[in-house]
Amino acid sequence: MKLKDGFITHESDGEHILVSAGDTQFNGLVRSNKTAAFIVEQLKSGTTAESIVTALLSKYDVSKEVAHKDVERILDTLRSIGAIDE
Amino acid sequence: MFTIMLAEHTFCIENRYDYVKKLCEEYIIPDCNAQKIFITDSQLDYEKKLTIGFPNAYLESLAVYRRICELLVDENIILFHGSAVVVDGLAYIFTAASGTGKSTHTSLWRAYLGERATMLNDDKPLLKITSSGVTAYGTPWNGKHRLGSNISAPLKAVCILERSEKNHIKKINKKAAYPMLLQQVYRPKSPVKMAATLNMIDQLAKHSSLYRLCCNMEIDAAELAYNYMKGEAK
Repeated sequence: MKLKDGFITHESDGEHILVSAGDTQFNGLVRSNKTAAFIVEQLKSGTTAESIVTALLSKYDVSKEVAHKDVERILDTLRSIGAIDE
Repeated sequence: MFTIMLAEHTFCIENRYDYVKKLCEEYIIPDCNAQKIFITDSQLDYEKKLTIGFPNAYLESLAVYRRICELLVDENIILFHGSAVVVDGLAYIFTAASGTGKSTHTSLWRAYLGERATMLNDDKPLLKITSSGVTAYGTPWNGKHRLGSNISAPLKAVCILERSEKNHIKKINKKAAYPMLLQQVYRPKSPVKMAATLNMIDQLAKHSSLYRLCCNMEIDAAELAYNYMKGEAK
């Protein structure tokens, strides 16, 4: 899976946001915390949910269970705005 | 075919319908070697999908502005949806979701301030973003009441409007204003231009004062908003 073309990230005063260019359905913004930002960044190149969990575990001191939950929750949010190419 | 100057940039519009020429009347300059704008059938179809039930002549005018705005991003100019009024040489932009009362509020400013208030653009002004500040420009695309002038002014403030029974206003920070700023800016189709637009939004937030005004439709709302915003240092 991969972040869909037309979605871009932006750093503004230390805040990580995700927005879409004009040719997509979604015209809001996603404000990401550190974990969400990390996951969005992983999605800039083709990956899988499993690889994202692995990457998250190597970067942050969290349990596998929590990492799984975080990844699934954030992927669901991104899917709901059409930001993921499966 | 005719040539216009918008925000100090020239465009040669190869129109199919008269409507867009009539719309741009005040902005027409003698023909020169300008960037050509020609609307293709597929660009017209694109507008048709977004704005249902309007004649092709009107859709052509929307497509022309969209094309111009895509080009102007490269010149550090963005379209910002809002009603802009100039008082004592400085521009104030009121922005909100459609139907909130942006135009109503700036009409109250004209009622309160009389000739001191000049409409820059009631709907879709252009903002030129530079490292030293922001300048607002009038455009022919100035809303259904056709309010605006071919003028420019330094931007003093961006004010987000909300309806409320009682009037109150406060200064807000960039974070609070950000979702609305992003909603009201023209979003180019290309991600590269969108990224440039986001950088310009950051500059816009940095160089202008940001406010949230909760207001009714009485003239007191204009009195409160003007007197609060004019006093603030930039």
